[in-house]
Formats: sequence, C-alpha cells, structure tokens
Amino acid sequence: MSSFLSLVNDKRVRDWFYQIAVIVLLVGLTGFFVRNASENMVKAGIASGFDFLWRTSGIEVPFVLTGYTQSDDIFALFWVGVANTMLVTVIAIVLATLLGFALGIARLSSHWLLSTIAGAYIEFVRNIPLLFFVLFWYFGVIAALPQPRQSIGLFGVAFLNNRGLTIPLPDAPGNFRWAALAILLSWLGYWLASAWAHRRKDRTGQDAPLLAIGIGLIVVVPALAIVWASLATRWDIPVLRGFNYRGGFVVIPEFVALLAALVTYTAGFIAEIVRGGIESVAKGQTEAASALGLRPGRILSLVVIPQALRVMTPPLTNQYLNVLKNSSFGAAIAYPDVVSLFMGSALNNTGQAIEIIAMTLAVYLVIGLVVSALMNWYNARIALVTR
Amino acid sequence: MTRASSLSIWRERLFATPFTGFVSMVLVVLIAWVGIPLIRWAVIDATWAGSTRADCAPGGACWVFIRARFGQFMYGLYPVDQRWRVDIAGIAFVLGIASIVLAPQRLRLKLGLAMLVALPPLGIWLLSGGFGLRYIETREWGGLMLTLFISIYSSLIAIPLGIIFALGRQSELRIIRLISVIFIEFWRGVPIIAVIFLASLLLPLILPGGIGIDRLARAVIGLGFVIAAYMAEAVRGGLQALPKGQREAATALGLNYWKATGLIVLPQALRISLPAMTNEFIALIKNTTLVLVVSILDLLGVAQASLADPNWVGMNMEAYAFSGAIYWLICFALSRWSRSLEKKRRL
Repeated sequence: MSSFLSLVNDKRVRDWFYQIAVIVLLVGLTGFFVRNASENMVKAGIASGFDFLWRTSGIEVPFVLTGYTQSDDIFALFWVGVANTMLVTVIAIVLATLLGFALGIARLSSHWLLSTIAGAYIEFVRNIPLLFFVLFWYFGVIAALPQPRQSIGLFGVAFLNNRGLTIPLPDAPGNFRWAALAILLSWLGYWLASAWAHRRKDRTGQDAPLLAIGIGLIVVVPALAIVWASLATRWDIPVLRGFNYRGGFVVIPEFVALLAALVTYTAGFIAEIVRGGIESVAKGQTEAASALGLRPGRILSLVVIPQALRVMTPPLTNQYLNVLKNSSFGAAIAYPDVVSLFMGSALNNTGQAIEIIAMTLAVYLVIGLVVSALMNWYNARIALVTR
Repeated sequence: MTRASSLSIWRERLFATPFTGFVSMVLVVLIAWVGIPLIRWAVIDATWAGSTRADCAPGGACWVFIRARFGQFMYGLYPVDQRWRVDIAGIAFVLGIASIVLAPQRLRLKLGLAMLVALPPLGIWLLSGGFGLRYIETREWGGLMLTLFISIYSSLIAIPLGIIFALGRQSELRIIRLISVIFIEFWRGVPIIAVIFLASLLLPLILPGGIGIDRLARAVIGLGFVIAAYMAEAVRGGLQALPKGQREAATALGLNYWKATGLIVLPQALRISLPAMTNEFIALIKNTTLVLVVSILDLLGVAQASLADPNWVGMNMEAYAFSGAIYWLICFALSRWSRSLEKKRRL
C-alpha cells in the first residue's frame, strides 16, 4: 500500500500517467471516427485510395496556366488549381506590399490630411469582411463594367470590360527567357557584391556604394532587360472583332475581382504593420544618429529601417501566409483555385472526400511550413547579436 | 476657441509650406472627385420613401429596397410571426452580458458561469423551438441574426478549447505540448473556407451512421475549431506575459496544477489576453461570412441573395452598402473597445 502511495505521489509517474491517458483517449477517438467513416463509406459505395487521380477529369477550366485540357487526368487538374492559387497569391502579395507600404508611410506623414485619409482607409478595410470585398469587386464593380465594345482601354494595348481584362501576349517567349537569365545573373551579382562589401567593411571599415550597386543590379538591369525583351518581341495585341476581342490573353473577371479584393484588404493590414514597425524604433535612436552627424538619408537606411525591418518581418510573413490562405475566397466567385477546382469540382465528380480534403489542406500546410522554416532562418540571421 | 485661432490651425495643418499646400490641394481635389458623386448618390439623389422599385429616382440610391427587405436582412427567412423569439434571445443575451458587467466583483465569476450554463441552451430553444414553441428549421434562419448566432456559438467552442490548448502548449509534459502544437499549427495553417467545406463533408462521415448533424451545426463546429487555434495563440500571449513567479509562488503555497492555473494564472493571463481575444472575435465575425459557400445565408449571404430578386434588379450597391455598413459598425466598435482595454492595461 505504501509503495502504491509513493508511486501516486511521484510526480514523474503521474506525468506519464496523464500523458498516456491522453494518448489512449486520442487513439480511441481516432479509431472510432475511422471505423464510422469506413462503415459509412461502404454503405454509400464510396471508393477509397488515390486511384481516382489517374482517371480522366472531364472538367472544363476557364483559366489554365499549365496546358491542361479536359481529357487530362484529375491529378493534372489538381496542379491547375495549385498554379492558379500561387499566381493570384504572388501577384496579390507584391501589389499589397506596395500599397501597404505607401499607406503606412502616409499614415505616419506629418501632413495632417494625408495621414487622416490613410487612417480612414485603414480603419475602413480592416473592419469589413474580405468576402464582402470579393463579392463587391465581382458583382458590384466588374459586372458593372461596360460591354467589350465600350471597353476601357489601357494605353491602347490592354482592355478592361465585363468579361475580364484582355492583355497582349508575346508571340514567342524566347527573348523573355534571355531577360529572365539576365535578371537572375544580376541578382546573383548583387549578392556576391554585398558579401564582398561586408567582408571588406569588417576588415577595413570602408563603406562600399552598396545602395547604388543595389539599385543598379536589382532594379535598373532587370528593368532594362524587360524593356529590351518587350521591344524585341512581336506582340499579339488584342483587337476588337464583332462583339469581343480577338488575340491576346484574357484574364478572367474572377481573377481580377479576387486580386483587387486581396490587394485592397491586405494593404490595410500591411500598412498597420509598417506603421508599428517604424514607430517601434525608439526616438532616441534617430536623435543619437543625428548627434553622431549622420545625414537624414543615412539615418533612415542605417538606423531606422534595419531595426524596423526586424520588428516588421514576422507579422509581415504572417500576412503573406494569410494572403495564400485567403486566396481560397475565390471559391465564392468560382475562381478556379485549388479549393474550388479540387475540393469543389473534383470532389463532386469522385465523391472521395477524405483523400481530396487531405491533398488540398496539404498544399497550404506544406507551403506554410516551408515559409515558416525560411522565416526562422531569416530571423535567426537578423536577430540582435549582443556582444 | 475663437474663429481666428481655429482658422490658423487649419492653415498650419494644410498650408504650412508650399509643398504641403500643393499636397493638400491634390488631396482635396481627390476627395471631392470621389466624395461628391458618392454623397449625391447616397443622400441627395437618393429615394427614401416608397414601396416599389418604380418609386425610385434613377441615378440615386434606392433605400426603399433596404426598407422593403429590412426584415430579411435581420432575420433571413425566419417566419415573420415568430421573430419575437429572436428578439427575446437577443435581449436575454444583452441583459446577460450587462448583468455580468454591472454585478459586484465578488459575484461576477459565479454569475458569469451561471449565464454560460443557462443562456446557450435557452438561445437554441428560443430559436429552433420545441417544448411548446413551433419548430423552425435552421434553413430558415438568416441575416444578421445568423451572423451573430454563428459568431457567439463558435466562440463558445473556441474559447474553452483555445484556453486548453494554450495551457497545453505551455505545459511541461512533452507529449501534451506536442499534441497542442500540432493542433494549433494545423488549424492555423489551413484556409477557413476549406475548413467549412471539410466540416460539412467530414462530420457526417465520421459520426456513427444514423446520427444526422445539422448543416448549421457543422459550420459552427468547423469555425469553432479554427478560431480555437487562433484563440489559443491569443491566450498564449497572456500566459507568456505573466511573470513566472506567479505560478511558482502558487505552487510553493501548496496549490496543485489545476488550482494554481484556475485561481492564480488564468485570471491574470486572460485579462492580459482580452484585447487579443477580442481581435480574434472580430476576425470570427468577419469570417462567419464564409458559410455562404455551404449555402447558409448570413447577413452578407442575404444581401447577395437579394440581388437575384426580379422585382429589385440592379440594387447591388444598395445591398452592399447596407450590409457593409453593419459589419463595419460592429467590428469598428469592438476594435475600439479592444484598443481601450489595451490602453487601460498599459497605464
């Protein structure tokens, strides 16, 4: 009896007892669910396993980047969805970051009216559901655009109407491949140059004109490469024939609406992150830097931005992952992303709910894990080093 | 304040330097360009009185439409003669909250727990019926009432679960910690729209055959689980902000884990987390709109569905403006409240 009591009073034994109890409970619950699911599936005549992936899909998709056709298998359909999700996510992140930084800096501006307008915009978008914006852009704005014959022309090459955005398409992508190569090389060059400059600074204390090199290699060279490729390529410019445009590439209205909603909504959140990051840099830092005789531009680039970036990076990453997850709101207006194509259409056709749900969720979880791993690596790199 | 000084404030704000003045002029033109047509549409050219579409003047907003459909925006397709039940449920909820807030400190916890036990079943009984009330299927629920119903009942799942998993994540038991981390990161990593699909497809599949589960209940449970993961992170913030000495002192006094947690740690940690939890509740209200994808019509869903009415063609802007304004007012008020809580704590 006394040995039993001492066993009960031993904290280590109790801890193990609780943990094993939780595991038993979880395993039991999972077993219960799995048994019910397999019984219910047999009853409903639903197959299991991943064989359905190799069946012909027969699902028509209005917006394809991968060369998929109806006669391809369902696995190809899955990749169409993933590609469409990634496309809208990446473009939305770039545009939302630009708009968000502009708004965040405007919010901090000493100009009263500018700051107030930015603040009003931020308060407006942050307190309204994203789905509202998606529906509003789709049914309120895009649907109200004129017919193709009265399209809104953008510089005479792209045309916006209620059937989407028609943009010119290059006839041959060859020159763009060279441009992409040039851009990659110049980014690699910047990376090497900055590594060299840091090493030299550690050794001799001399600054290299890294900002000028950076602007040259990261912005100017790629811009020139793209301009050269655009000029050297023959373009298929859309032309009005009868009731619609011929030629070019039609960006479907669902994409335009979803992108507009994601950008306008997310920018409000990014603006708050930018404001918080810049405000988090103590005033004394700026004052100390100017007491040391640094010019305002140098204060910003050497003192304020590096410290603000450290605060801004984690929430910004979170926001980018939110954009990825929120791109699934396109399912509400039938934008063919992975949720609406795979979890919607493919699931309706095959009925294999468990496999399809698992694959769809895996897309988001895998990307999320990769991004957080990269983030942890980056955070460790820029973390404060106390000497 | 005299007239001259207020004028000089505006001059200082808008025209301090030539450049500031230039920016001000550009912005004023921009505001006028957007604002004047908007105000003309919404107020000056708008029609407020009437009963059909024909009463509305072209070019302005047709608020007659909102007036004609106000009941649907609030209650969905809930039978008109039974709407008093929704009102009573709403009043009971407001009175419950008010009595907790106004009660003396000593009674607050007991009263709160009593309300937590009594009010949710009362609400379900009033809304769905049984025991002498006419039975009303959830298919007929809708509008603002459904938005609030889903938000409140999902958070009844999310808050306790969130607290449990936040404690689990801070636990010193390794397996419990691992399970909590997996739960939290899984639900935080997947899109809510996918979870709502998942709940509506998988819940009937994993329960024993014959147990039907209401479509609305599926959505509430799905949302509850996702928000639980976000709530857990909000609570974790509070737990981490609390000095370690608090738990150590409680343990030194001889309190066991649950007593130390319930009496010492949680009361303080939850107070710190309250602003963050409110922000998660705001996110929940906004995400409630996603039940649209499983054809449950909350406020935004009713607004969207009303666009298909052949008697009221082209009321898109009116429906969006009205529903958007309601969402904005609710979320803005809550976010202000959360911010004031945060400020009070900082002082």
